[in-house]
Amino acid sequence: MKRFFLLWLKYTLNSFSSAIYSRFGAGLFLFAKLLRFLLFFLFLFILQKSTKVLIDYTANQVIFFYLVFNLIDTLTQLLFREVYRFRQKVVRGDFDLDLVQPINPLFKALAGGADLLDLFMLIPSIFLLFYFGAQLTFASFSLFVFLLLFINGLVIATSFHILVLALGVLTTEVDHAIMIYRDLTNVGRVPIDIFLLLLFRLE
Amino acid sequence: MGKYWQVIKNSWSESTAYRLNFILWRVRRVVNLLLVYFLWHAVTAGKNTLFGYNESQILTYVLLSNVVTSFILATKTLDIGDEINSGNLTNYLLKPINYFSLWWAKDAADKALNVFFSILEVVLLIFFLKPQFILQTNVLFLLFFTLSMGLGMILYFYLSVLLGFIGFYSPEVWAPRFVFFVISQFFIGSLFPLDILPKWLYLSLQALPFPYLLFFPLKIYLGQLNVQEISIGIAISLVWIIILKETAVRVWNKGLLDYSAQGR
Repeated sequence: MKRFFLLWLKYTLNSFSSAIYSRFGAGLFLFAKLLRFLLFFLFLFILQKSTKVLIDYTANQVIFFYLVFNLIDTLTQLLFREVYRFRQKVVRGDFDLDLVQPINPLFKALAGGADLLDLFMLIPSIFLLFYFGAQLTFASFSLFVFLLLFINGLVIATSFHILVLALGVLTTEVDHAIMIYRDLTNVGRVPIDIFLLLLFRLE
Repeated sequence: MGKYWQVIKNSWSESTAYRLNFILWRVRRVVNLLLVYFLWHAVTAGKNTLFGYNESQILTYVLLSNVVTSFILATKTLDIGDEINSGNLTNYLLKPINYFSLWWAKDAADKALNVFFSILEVVLLIFFLKPQFILQTNVLFLLFFTLSMGLGMILYFYLSVLLGFIGFYSPEVWAPRFVFFVISQFFIGSLFPLDILPKWLYLSLQALPFPYLLFFPLKIYLGQLNVQEISIGIAISLVWIIILKETAVRVWNKGLLDYSAQGR
């Protein structure tokens, strides 16, 4: 376990050095991510204020939903960024070089290039989550279940990334598969029971 | 003309060579479409009007946006920056072809393939979901809709080409494109019609090119703009096209002077 952690640390530092090689590019990526975060906030605000669809939720609760989604999304992107580079490795044959190394190839393909730039996004996310979370009242059991489900969310995200890697080895298709996962998880940016309401209406 | 026709045929073959890749791209489009569709279905269900749209108008907006984005936003010009940075641009400079026409031809193949599948998807979704889809029958609106789509396509082509030409001056071509992508994702109107935004923001956006890439054609199709508003929109689109085309040609000419085929 310690060996994996040391390896991960080494990979992560290498990946970070490569990411900040162009500070201009890194800055732009961060700016865009922050902008996307804020623009969706604006959209949620308009939706909450002008429609009755989120009537069962207070503004704080809607924001809390979005922040939890954002935290899991950012964490998985931070940890599993290497998956997004996997297709190129397979197509160019560079994956062969990983296979001959005495390192678990799945570990390297999955976690071998953590994106520390996402850490900068994580800091305001966590701060806002605590800020808005503190304004909500939780029973301690609910908080416990929340934490369990939060971990469950991370496990599901990890599983999906492994599935995409498997698909990548079999078919060289990674990019769209991982984006389908991202698109589907985007449903969680709003409380998903608004879609359940629709199902009841359709019945 | 023959050589560009060949480019179209080659690009078509290239796109269909990686079939699973293409199929998953279209699956992505459908997933995205369904998410936005169900969100707006949930928001508008049981209401007479919301933000000035009734349920059938908003669902038509969402479904038709799939076809319009396939026509306007499908492009291969995303590769220009990398071609400049890798030195592959040299291959084209040595051949008797116009670089802009080359990308128009590649885009034609890409758009044809995407529009074909997007129409198929929308027809299937209409069949299965049975929304009240509005079929515009007013010939004038249909003509303006077609014109605005054509203008949107030209506008987006030069915007995307210009983003690619950043490659002449910086190896960092994806970061500016990502910023553009995030901004355009919200301000072309693919997630929501732009007129739900605060009025000051909506009016400010009218002066920018973004609304003319999706929102404007769809508003025309829905018959929600009068002839005066359509004329103003078309005039702004034309001004942007002239500005962006002139800028693209200048940057290309200037960029070629700086181009050193680095990487070759």
